[in-house]
Amino acid sequence: MTSNFKSWPITIFLSILSLPIVVMFFYLILDTVTDTTGGSLIPDRLTLEHWRFLFETPATGRASIWKVTANTFIFACTTSATVVATSLTAGYALSRLNMPFRRFFLGGVLTLHAFPTITLIIAIFLMLQMTGLYNTLAGVILVKTALELPLGIWIMKGFYDTVPWEIEMAGLADGASRFTVWRKLVLPQVHPGMAALGLFSFLAAWSEFILPQVLAPDGASQVLATYMQNLIKDDVQPDFNMFKSVGLFYALPVLIIYLIFNQKLMNIYGGGSKG
Amino acid sequence: MRIQLENFTKTFGTTNVIEDMSLDIASGEMLALLGPSGCGKSTTLFAICGIHKMDGGRLLFGERDVTTVPSQGRNVGVVFQNYALYPHMSIYENIAFPLKIRKQNKHDIDRKVSAIADLVHITELLDRKPAQLSGGQQQRVALARALVREPDVLLLDEPLANLDAKLRLEMRSEIRRIQQQTGITAILVTHDQVEAMSMCDRIAIMNKGSIVQLSEPRYMYDNPASAFVAGFMGNPPISFVEGVVEDSLVRLANSSITLPLPASIQIPNQGAPIKLGIRPEHFQPGQSASLPGKVSFIETQGREVLYDVTLENGAVLRSIQATSDILEIGSEVSWGLIQDKILAFGPEGERL
Amino acid sequence: MRRAHLLGLGFMAPALLITGLFFLAPVILTAVFSFTSMSSGTGISGGAYSVSEQTIRELPERGFPQETADLLAKDVYRIDEAGLSDLSANFGEPFSKQVRKALSGKVFDGRKALVTEMKKLRERPRSVRQLKISADLFKRSILNIRFDSKAALLASVSDIGISLDASQQTILAETSYTGWSWTTDNYKLISSMPSAFRAAGNTFIYVTLTLSVSIGLGLLLALATFYLPKGQAAAFRAIWILPRILPPVIYVMMWKWLTWDTGFLSNFLLNFGITPRNWMLHSDINAWVCIVLINGFVGASLGMILFSSAMRAIPASMLHASEVDGANRRQQIWHIILPQLRWPILFTTAYSTLSLIASFDYIYLSTDGGPGRSTEVWALYAFHTALNNYGGALQYGLGAALALMLVIIGIGASLFYLRIFNFNELVAKPRIEQ
Repeated sequence: MTSNFKSWPITIFLSILSLPIVVMFFYLILDTVTDTTGGSLIPDRLTLEHWRFLFETPATGRASIWKVTANTFIFACTTSATVVATSLTAGYALSRLNMPFRRFFLGGVLTLHAFPTITLIIAIFLMLQMTGLYNTLAGVILVKTALELPLGIWIMKGFYDTVPWEIEMAGLADGASRFTVWRKLVLPQVHPGMAALGLFSFLAAWSEFILPQVLAPDGASQVLATYMQNLIKDDVQPDFNMFKSVGLFYALPVLIIYLIFNQKLMNIYGGGSKG
Repeated sequence: MRIQLENFTKTFGTTNVIEDMSLDIASGEMLALLGPSGCGKSTTLFAICGIHKMDGGRLLFGERDVTTVPSQGRNVGVVFQNYALYPHMSIYENIAFPLKIRKQNKHDIDRKVSAIADLVHITELLDRKPAQLSGGQQQRVALARALVREPDVLLLDEPLANLDAKLRLEMRSEIRRIQQQTGITAILVTHDQVEAMSMCDRIAIMNKGSIVQLSEPRYMYDNPASAFVAGFMGNPPISFVEGVVEDSLVRLANSSITLPLPASIQIPNQGAPIKLGIRPEHFQPGQSASLPGKVSFIETQGREVLYDVTLENGAVLRSIQATSDILEIGSEVSWGLIQDKILAFGPEGERL
Repeated sequence: MRRAHLLGLGFMAPALLITGLFFLAPVILTAVFSFTSMSSGTGISGGAYSVSEQTIRELPERGFPQETADLLAKDVYRIDEAGLSDLSANFGEPFSKQVRKALSGKVFDGRKALVTEMKKLRERPRSVRQLKISADLFKRSILNIRFDSKAALLASVSDIGISLDASQQTILAETSYTGWSWTTDNYKLISSMPSAFRAAGNTFIYVTLTLSVSIGLGLLLALATFYLPKGQAAAFRAIWILPRILPPVIYVMMWKWLTWDTGFLSNFLLNFGITPRNWMLHSDINAWVCIVLINGFVGASLGMILFSSAMRAIPASMLHASEVDGANRRQQIWHIILPQLRWPILFTTAYSTLSLIASFDYIYLSTDGGPGRSTEVWALYAFHTALNNYGGALQYGLGAALALMLVIIGIGASLFYLRIFNFNELVAKPRIEQ
């Protein structure tokens, strides 16, 4: 930046503005390992008590945290893999291939991309009930994949758009088929896009709450989001220290991925426009 | 207005970009800061307009010390390389912007904008948006915007770099005309010696963060202070050959060829290594001190032809001649040097 | 069709299949369901016929004779084969034979009449209690029995000795049908329900306020970090990205802790003598402030990212030029930066509006529409009606009708955005023609 403007007033202003989030996040971490007497803001002692949920056998009617975590991983990984695989082909077709209805498909993807998918939850709930996919992880995975797909295709198309046409033209001139050109020449160019979209979809599924809550509320297919919400709902006297421990456990993959892949993800958040 | 830069120092992080540089520009003078990229010429310009802080030294506009004054208070006009026109404003609004910011009244703004538009010949463009203008027109608008506030100094940062060859020629003389008409002190930053020579009263040639030579263009061309300056000035560029001093002659490395030394210099010690600079226009047929060689490359430039001649030790001399019967590659030639024009440099590149 | 066309369609196929099944089908089905009376009461598959007390009460209102309706509700005692075989199993063959001989096919209005008749038989059980139990074996009622078809229902009605004319049969069948049926009642209901109007009003307030906070705060953050040195800017952006990347359940839990009556705010304000309270649900205003901030911070995260990257696209020389031209920071922001952010701002506003209208997850997790229903927005209202109603049956049909409004707004707005954001530029033809 230029030397014409001072930055310290901004630093002070932003520090004050950021206080609520900093406080919330600071205590989110602090409270998982300390105890505080009621009415005070300063913790009295260190304890690992709040993390006991990791080792205890759960109370009857409640799923084990490890089972729930496994479910969440299956949910997030499968969703992410399906979104990436499907977007890879569809994005290429929309970016580079001549085909009938191309304009229509593009318009469709763009429309769906802006469309607020959550409004469809009631119809989807009834559909899953009718098809027997209700209360299964598979049902939630399919639905989440479908809802993430328009954004995924759009992002992948964006990555394909940046691959120079000359690479493909050269490949064709060398005698390769369109398919070979895609697999051998174009696909390696969009690896960063694949990785970014994969991470993005993983995070989106990992954080998803409404879909599992509505479509698979029962114990066997519970994920961390619904597990945690049930925990909060069921307690008459909330034990925030415990909630925060479970919450931090749940948020850990998100925070780690974000710390490592910050820039990659920013690109997608910038490209995607969903609030 | 006279501009004085005294002992200017600039560091980025831990590296010194400019160290202890001084520059004195007379009122109404146009000075070129010439040098290769990374030599610190743009840094100097940014320090003069206040976008970069000075880490040491003083900057005076006339009698006024502006070292710590922010850009807004300095009254400088700057034309940036990409013109930096505000894309969302019309040409009129672009030019009026510096006046509007200073809260001048509408009537004054109107009068000044149309006067300056007249000066740079863009009166008919005032209603358009920058995107609708050609490069040359944008350049004129940028000039108008820089001049409209009647600045103490006009700074031009590579103003011609983004133009095509024909427009560059046209704008060169235009900028000079406008500068002379307004009588403003101007600093031109460029890496193109032709621009510097054709537009400016004086040239400050910079290398690695300091000024190597500061003089009038013609003088600098004829009397470069170092091999670096000699190499930088002139197009097609000067050729260098290396050798050692033997008696009052120079014997070229790995050969029996001897060349005379220019009369004006003091003859160095016997056996001292020496570097001779020979400009293409000084290596011509029909001169004394002839050098035999083979034509190794020919570049036809229309009115003139440029020959590369490889001597028997592998050194290459360039010669530029009026187009007549064109020789072929491989032809044996024996051209000579204009002796007084030979430039002699020491082993460190210093002028002898 | 050329081979390249097949390749293209083949590449599209998986995406088309998944979006078709779980995207387009739900859109159509939302419309379809909105014209039904589906609820958790009717079930979602076909229904059955069952006469309940409720049916009996409703029948006269539809023009069914009161006396006949009362008859339907009454128990009758009918000597039939099923009863006789039960009797022989429990009270012996001889008694059963005598009953068959004397009373077969007869119908009695009450147990008393049957017992009187039974007392005349020789093989009857001796105790009155046993006699009553044996009589109960012939008790017949159609009340609360599921019949799979209209015919089965009507047969049972005539079995208990009630004969109905054709119009009475139709009324009975319609009233006693438990499954869902086609109807436009949902729409009539929506247009007449005050709660729907309140939800619409709440949605308007919610979207307007949240959008102002998102865009305003997002711009403020982007501008502020723009003027900071790299390291500091990155730190502040990292803090402000948290609302967007943290899973909603955790993010809202943090807010709950902040505002709980034993939480941070209460404990902190206790130092100033303010009584602890639940700052989120204490009053309508509190709830609204919380909801707008919770959602607004998430939106500001996104806005900050989008606006920051748009600002980075402004050439540095343009900013330098404006400073040299004499602009101070305020003037630079106002005259140079903001005008060039016009499109990103418009774009973000458009898309955020749409997603805010439809979203309810953060509200559901925080206030769940409370206190009372003061923060229940339209989308949450639809969700409550169809999927999350503690008070009564889940009304799928009504919920679908409510959701359909949002679906229509969504499709309309998306198509509109497509027009203004220059669709034709986005669909440039491929440069390889095979």
